[in-house]
Amino acid sequence: MGMRAINRSSSVNRPKWRKIAYGGMQPGFEDNHTDESFLEDMIMNANVVRRDLLKVMLDSVSISQYLCIVALVVLVWTYTLRSILTEDSLLLLDVTLLGLGFFILLVTAEMLSFELLLSYLLKISFFITGLYLLSPIYHTLTRSISSDSIWALTAVLIILHLFLHNYSGSTVKAPGTLENPTLTSNISLNASIVASLLIASRLPSRLHVFAIVLFSLQVFLFAPLVTYCIRKYSFRLHLILSFSLTCSTLFFVYNLHRLLFVLLFVILAFVNVICPYWLIRIQEYKFEINGPWDEAKLCFNITE
Amino acid sequence: MGAKISDAMGERGKHRILMVSDFFYPNFGGVESHIYYLSQCLIPLGHKVVVMTHAYNNRSGVRYMTGGLKVYYVPWKPFLMQNTLPTFYGTLPIIRTILIRENISVVHGHQAFSTLCHEALMHARTMGYKVVFTDHSLYGFADVGSIHMNKVLQFTLADVTQAICVSHTSKENTVLRSGLPPEKVYVIPNAVDTAMFKPAPEQLSNDEIVVIVISRLVYRKGADLLVEVIPEVCRLHPNVRFVIGGDGPKRVRLEEMREKHSLQDRVDMLGAVPHAKVRSVLITGHIFLNSSLTEAFCIAILEAASCGLLTVSTRVGGVPEVLPDDMIVLAEPDPSDMIHAIAKAINILPQIDPKAMHLRMKELYSWHDVARRTEIVYDRALRCSSQPLLERLSRYLTCGAWAGKLFCLVMLIDFILWHLLQLWQPDRDIEVVPDVTLANFLHEEMSWDSNQSETLR
Repeated sequence: MGMRAINRSSSVNRPKWRKIAYGGMQPGFEDNHTDESFLEDMIMNANVVRRDLLKVMLDSVSISQYLCIVALVVLVWTYTLRSILTEDSLLLLDVTLLGLGFFILLVTAEMLSFELLLSYLLKISFFITGLYLLSPIYHTLTRSISSDSIWALTAVLIILHLFLHNYSGSTVKAPGTLENPTLTSNISLNASIVASLLIASRLPSRLHVFAIVLFSLQVFLFAPLVTYCIRKYSFRLHLILSFSLTCSTLFFVYNLHRLLFVLLFVILAFVNVICPYWLIRIQEYKFEINGPWDEAKLCFNITE
Repeated sequence: MGAKISDAMGERGKHRILMVSDFFYPNFGGVESHIYYLSQCLIPLGHKVVVMTHAYNNRSGVRYMTGGLKVYYVPWKPFLMQNTLPTFYGTLPIIRTILIRENISVVHGHQAFSTLCHEALMHARTMGYKVVFTDHSLYGFADVGSIHMNKVLQFTLADVTQAICVSHTSKENTVLRSGLPPEKVYVIPNAVDTAMFKPAPEQLSNDEIVVIVISRLVYRKGADLLVEVIPEVCRLHPNVRFVIGGDGPKRVRLEEMREKHSLQDRVDMLGAVPHAKVRSVLITGHIFLNSSLTEAFCIAILEAASCGLLTVSTRVGGVPEVLPDDMIVLAEPDPSDMIHAIAKAINILPQIDPKAMHLRMKELYSWHDVARRTEIVYDRALRCSSQPLLERLSRYLTCGAWAGKLFCLVMLIDFILWHLLQLWQPDRDIEVVPDVTLANFLHEEMSWDSNQSETLR
């Protein structure tokens, strides 16, 4: 009892410690004094976003969708190399894809203007002519290299493409967008183009080469844009499309090779189920510290 | 030569300190002046101080500064922002030689991003010296650079004997970054040489109010805030004029702002101001404006206050601790709040007496006080018991699952290299420098303030 009274009186007489740097050493306190207020301005996990498992899973659908698109392209390559797909059917596929892509873009992007369409058609015809003229060169491009090396290189390039691909947007932008594509998405796009040229150079005729390069370029350049437009237009449509794409891809791959089917299935399950669950689980380890020592953020935009 | 060999240095309570940092004269900034003034004030207290830094251009080898302060400019080239290339063990031989030659008892490293400091502290700990570290800056926890720096700091501080920070906010930051127990971290602020920063002999009239800005014009110093604030203040207060001293990448933006709002006659851009000229710029103004986005302490505010200027500053980092509330107007780092704060400062300006403010600053801050408080830290450091290698290694192990083992490996290799060096060049083969006290400096010890300006610039 008496002790407590003495303590109280001493704490009354003693000047309170203040968080100041001026005036030399504070009387009664050493320089290494750690006050009760130490770290009281620290804020933990102020900006952490709580994520929902279902939403993360739905967001991951666009990744698996693109995986399926690339798998389908590889399937077309394989069937063409095995001479199951003829050049006529390939050309028919090209025209169908081009028409379908244009149709979707016109419907979803709401830019039904005759002049724009005309300028697009003009550009595309230039592009196709150029490709047709260059196809003899592509045809003999890698004649001196063995097919095994080409397949290995293509596989590496496709994996690189998938790793660096920009899944949240599209490298090829709709006209009028301001932001530029990132370096990694450009590298990804170039890897896919090189891969398709390598595959095309293994084909028997020039028309084959032309058809397959046109097909690959159509898919790699414009499929992200088209799927992006669909996703923006209607998320339900995006889900339906992804689901049907996944099913058909799995069906075709199953017909081609059992092991590849298992592999693709595992990858899709990993992307759509395990990764989202994993992300939610490791959220609890998130630890963010903020406090008065942080660099202040400017509340206005700097226009250089 | 007026030099004599004194044996008095070896007496109890007198330390033989090696200050290590990449940042020293001829470079100029907060760290550099801290080391210089602290050393100058420790020498009169009877301690021996030796400074070690890297070579600046052809300034290489051993130099003496005011008061017989010995400086080793180690011929080690800086590679980025005046930092030496981190080599871990490259500096071990020369640091060992200096430590033995100068018969050092305490090694005091400065600044968290000086590689030389980190290496010296590591070698000094390996050789069993007592080590003190001063942190002069603040770091965040979010970006990759900070995470890396924090790990390096954790490594150095894992085994440091005592640590010093320049403000309480800086102490909180350092404790969080390094995981040191808070009672091992001392808060000893910077100070200002009030004799060098005297107010103008005659008080300026308040008809025209001059706002002074002296800082490097970079993002972290809030140059972008100035671009927003200055035109608005000029519009609201027709009698206000700005003087901006400093250079940097953001200077172009400020000049653009001046053109755009046609403020050429009201905003003076001086370019880089050498430290010796800072006072002559400061005394032409009434208000000092600091717009930093992050600041551990801010010596510039002290210099301005010592010249009798009222300070307006952003409320960031350790700035709110630096001056009493009636000498500074604080604002959030936001243009509208800063404009408001400048208006408030203009209102209370008639009550400010520069001479009285200068006298108050003399009471509040002194490098001699800083030196005395640092001396206590050295005393404590020397009283700590020496620990065997194994016990120290266990402390490194706790630094992280992977990093801990890596740190241990680094320390073990350092230990082995040190022993190999001892075989190759035994301690007794290194000649110990006799302690030289320059007699003609001894009786000037209290008036060094007057001649250091020539030495520094």
